[in-house]
Amino acid sequence: MDMDVTCPRCKTTKYRNPSLKLMVNVCGHGLCESCVELLFLKGSGNCPECGIALRRSNFRVQLFEDSQVEKEVDIRRRVLRDFNKKEEDFASLREYNDYLEEVETIIFNLVNNIDQLETNKKIEKFKKENRELILKNKVRVGREEVELELMLEQEAAQEEARRAQIALEEKEEKRRKIRNKEALIDELMFSNANAQSILQTFAESRAQDGPAKPALPSAPVAARATQFSSGIQIGRGSGQVEFLPVPRIDDTPLYHYEAPQRLFDGPDPPSGQQVIQDGYLSHIRGASEEERAGGYSSHIGCLRALEDAMAGLYYKANRGEPVF
Amino acid sequence: MEDRLRRYEKIEFLGEGQFATVYKARDTQTENIVAVKKIKVGSRAEAKDGINRTALREIKLLQELHHPNIIGLLDVFGHMSNVSLVFDFMDFDMEVVIKDTNIVLTPANIKSYVLQTLQGLEYLHNNWVLHRDLKPNNLLVNSDGVLKIGDFGLAKFFGSPNRVYTHQVVTRWYRAPELLYGARMYGTSVDMWAVGCILAELLLRVPFLPGETDLDQLTRIFQVMGTPTEETWPGLTSLQDYIQFKPMPSQPLRNIFSAAGDDLLDLITSLLMVNPLARCTCEQALKMPYFSNKPAPTPGPQLPVPTSLNGRKQDERPSLKRKLLDAVDGGSLAKKLIF
Repeated sequence: MDMDVTCPRCKTTKYRNPSLKLMVNVCGHGLCESCVELLFLKGSGNCPECGIALRRSNFRVQLFEDSQVEKEVDIRRRVLRDFNKKEEDFASLREYNDYLEEVETIIFNLVNNIDQLETNKKIEKFKKENRELILKNKVRVGREEVELELMLEQEAAQEEARRAQIALEEKEEKRRKIRNKEALIDELMFSNANAQSILQTFAESRAQDGPAKPALPSAPVAARATQFSSGIQIGRGSGQVEFLPVPRIDDTPLYHYEAPQRLFDGPDPPSGQQVIQDGYLSHIRGASEEERAGGYSSHIGCLRALEDAMAGLYYKANRGEPVF
Repeated sequence: MEDRLRRYEKIEFLGEGQFATVYKARDTQTENIVAVKKIKVGSRAEAKDGINRTALREIKLLQELHHPNIIGLLDVFGHMSNVSLVFDFMDFDMEVVIKDTNIVLTPANIKSYVLQTLQGLEYLHNNWVLHRDLKPNNLLVNSDGVLKIGDFGLAKFFGSPNRVYTHQVVTRWYRAPELLYGARMYGTSVDMWAVGCILAELLLRVPFLPGETDLDQLTRIFQVMGTPTEETWPGLTSLQDYIQFKPMPSQPLRNIFSAAGDDLLDLITSLLMVNPLARCTCEQALKMPYFSNKPAPTPGPQLPVPTSLNGRKQDERPSLKRKLLDAVDGGSLAKKLIF
């Protein structure tokens, strides 16, 4: 930072106080650390320049010299927290671009104080309409991020493999050199040939060996990862990733209601419906208000009495017991 | 009588409660494992009245009820002044399933459990029996994944217009609002409410409305379902223990059961209708799209089994009547009959 950075309030400069740190809040106006401490002793207060209500906890160290940039970064972060749709959420690229355009417009408006009210309304509206999607996107890692992460992972793995390969080769090389040297000495010790010629043949063979050393297996180009480690394709081309494993086809039968068989061993008593419709109830005491409030209604008692009356009329002891 | 005494070979002690001790036993005739509930005669003062009322209800009702989703009373025998009931042996209950965090309940599993409960309950209601104590603890499941409604200690015939009933039934968390308001005449709706609470508990894996007092229970109900008025619940103010609550709006169930589909939310809504006459019956519930929609209910043998059961030896399975043990601890939710 330059030496002439100045706190707009106390006019301290970086030159006079090397530890000066400018802080900014959402409005984009700077203040030095000690001014923040002084003005926002209570935790909240107003910006000395524009008078907007600020909280102390929202002050951050200014990263960019131009406070306008700082403000934009701030606003952008805030806006993008809600406007977090991904390309996959749109039907066409065109729509996605329109959406990005709109987000930029909103940010621009907020930074430059154009149509503040209108813009904030728009944000609120968007938030309300897309609440669920926003929440979902917050947890969802974008596909790009997944891909990127995978590529990084793969690169790291390749790097590791390459390093291991080089180390192996170096070891091999060293061993070969030692072997050669030993062979030469042996040759010199035991051979009857001219020492000069032996040295020469060895030098030649070594020269041949040199370039013939196994070329590094060309490291596979860090191709764009197209597969998950499980072997499943990634990429938006193949829509397969989207689906969970196909659920096992359920062959358990669905339930269907069947009225239970009731054995009266007598004439069929009227149904609950009939009791109400056919005027049976006019012959009995109606349920009081209190009884009805308790969940008792007169057709229950009536039906019970009728069923009791009819049940077992055909019963004869010698026929054996009725089967329930 | 003597041969019946010897027919059941005690394997182990399962639990003890206020009224009975439960043993796991082997039926030497069929080689089946059964649960034998031996009713305590108790002190001399109690014995004067004969055997316990809840045991009588259980015997009388269960002797006539036969359904795959109702606990089977296999045999009853007496010795001296004792009475013992022989039941199907059930491996665990829904409370164990709900509390076992290792079990993942899929939508199909939940559908299966609720379906079996409602089928058993439909049978009961068709035969004019109210269970009056439905809770996860009383929905017993065997190793084949068959759910059976158990514990008929509070069950009673209903539908008589002249008989009044006590409202002090059903464990508080599953107690319907009309009972909390002291209704003396009620119907199948009290059981339906409990099923709604159990379904909610299966989804949430914690009790849905864990009220600490009866008043707190009503508050919790109305906080979720909204305070009823004379319009939404005609005759409400004429109930014996009616208390005015400050109006609270109902909460959208979608926010509470975020994982539930629309068909399931419809079912919960109609099971947890505050007005008992608006609440659905078993038949209406079973006809709702939720049950016939996909996913199909899980077949019994594929239902999850608690880890506690897998790890243990066959012989060390948790008792059919864990609640009896609970009752010994003097659980605050011990059921009570007041006549």
